[in-house]
Amino acid sequence: MMRAFEVRDLTVHFGEVCALDDMRFALTSGQATMLVGPNGAGKSTLIKVLLGLVRPDSAVFEADGARIAIDRQWKEHIGYLPEAVAFSENLSGRQLLRFFARARGVERSRVDAVLERIGLTHARSRAIRGYSRGMRQRLGLGVAILSAPDLLVLDEPTAGLDQEGLGVLWSVIDEWRAAGRMVIASTHDLALMERRVDEICVLRAGRVLAHGTADELRRNAQIPHRVQFEVENAPEARIELLCAAMTKWGKGRIERRGHRIQVEVGPDEILELMQIQAGFPGVVHGLRVEEPTLDVVYDKLLGAA
Amino acid sequence: MMGRVGRALIVHEFLERTRDRWVLVISVLFALLASAVGLYGRSAEAEVSKLTGPSLVTLASLLVPLVALVLSHDAIVGERERNTLGLLLSLPVGRLEVVIAKLIGRGLALAVALGLGAAMLVSDPAGLQALLALTGPTLLLGLAFLSIGLLISTLTRRQITASSLVVVVWFGLVFFYDLGLLGLLVVSDGGVGQETISWLVIGNPAGLYRVQMMNAFAGPEVLSDLGLQAGLPGATTTWLLWGGWLVVPALLSGALLSRRKVV
Repeated sequence: MMRAFEVRDLTVHFGEVCALDDMRFALTSGQATMLVGPNGAGKSTLIKVLLGLVRPDSAVFEADGARIAIDRQWKEHIGYLPEAVAFSENLSGRQLLRFFARARGVERSRVDAVLERIGLTHARSRAIRGYSRGMRQRLGLGVAILSAPDLLVLDEPTAGLDQEGLGVLWSVIDEWRAAGRMVIASTHDLALMERRVDEICVLRAGRVLAHGTADELRRNAQIPHRVQFEVENAPEARIELLCAAMTKWGKGRIERRGHRIQVEVGPDEILELMQIQAGFPGVVHGLRVEEPTLDVVYDKLLGAA
Repeated sequence: MMGRVGRALIVHEFLERTRDRWVLVISVLFALLASAVGLYGRSAEAEVSKLTGPSLVTLASLLVPLVALVLSHDAIVGERERNTLGLLLSLPVGRLEVVIAKLIGRGLALAVALGLGAAMLVSDPAGLQALLALTGPTLLLGLAFLSIGLLISTLTRRQITASSLVVVVWFGLVFFYDLGLLGLLVVSDGGVGQETISWLVIGNPAGLYRVQMMNAFAGPEVLSDLGLQAGLPGATTTWLLWGGWLVVPALLSGALLSRRKVV
């Protein structure tokens, strides 16, 4: 099993347009990586390079430290879910999976196991034309995982999935991570995917703008967290004193909203803020800390670039 | 040599195409028309019944290219529009192998479609005789147009463009090509040599098929009467021409697909 994959010096031009610009990118065993970025950032091109669908102008590929080529041997290790895939409607789900099983050299018995895994056993003999969008997406996921590939490449995997379908997708991603395999998913659905991946790679104009865990991206973005103190039953004078102490502290933006005090502070100042409120026992009856959503972090990253 | 993916794709293409309702409709239409021609030949006087073969040739030269083009026009562009071309090419398979596998798989489906029409004639002895003489070249005609359809499918970016283009190609090669040659003869006032005209006739797969079949059913004297005999090639050249029509568009299709920087 492949434990690590890295691509360096990856450059792709389409005529005058530079789709990927000297990009460096790495995947590690047991990790799921999410690719995000605006349209034209290079997500699809990067995925197509990994699949051998786009020939780069220059690139160095390494698997487990050894140089490799994106050839047939490499493709044996990959499973791919394309975006908005529309399979031939004349075949049944089972017939389609049987084709891919033959093509991948996978045992026929695996087809029924995969149908079970993606929750389509009941519809296995039905023509695909009778499948809903979510069922087709799940079938696509079934095609991708059929050969239990080392690297699972998912392009907009959440599109069209209902709650049940999302559950299947999350369990597949978790299974791949637990088995020490790799997952790379391109998405616009940051909020939905955030908790399912280990690493996030933000692309812009063919370059990696930021790379790290969700927490690392949040921290580096330096976006204030919102801390809300519930002060409903406290005497007004004590509340005023607490507000004054926080204002004197001067590191956050303080706002009084009825029975609530809202403070916007940097992630590193939260502990200090807690110490201030601890100096006024009996005033605060409830506390909520809201970290910025990944969408906000993403917007800030793109805005700053 | 066809690899694992190529072999699987042949089976897949065959299964998928034989379930396509348009292919079924056209096959049934061909079967009914072939059957009508056979019945007419059986019920008519002896002289007229000799026309069964040539009538079938005319029918096949019109319909088989159409069936073949319908079968193949979406082979690549259809996959592209459905977002499955990338999935297919992400399998461990060469791009030319994909084209060849599609040609073979859809060629098998075409053979089944033609077989349906042929089956309607088996009970008639005269029809059976005509059928045996027809089978090989008719299949070649179909495969040649399949190959042309594949090339169109690779060249185009949208399925609607491919559909329009195959209709143009069908009209062009099956109807207007011969009219064009007639026009050339009239305009040149016989200035174009007989040999050149003969080569131009057989340069079109539909023309090659008609000439070959006329030769088989009516004999070489009919071709002489039409002024074609002098320039007709021998058997080897005929098969080479068929080979060319079968292989060159498919190879071009594979080369075009392989040369594309992005799929």
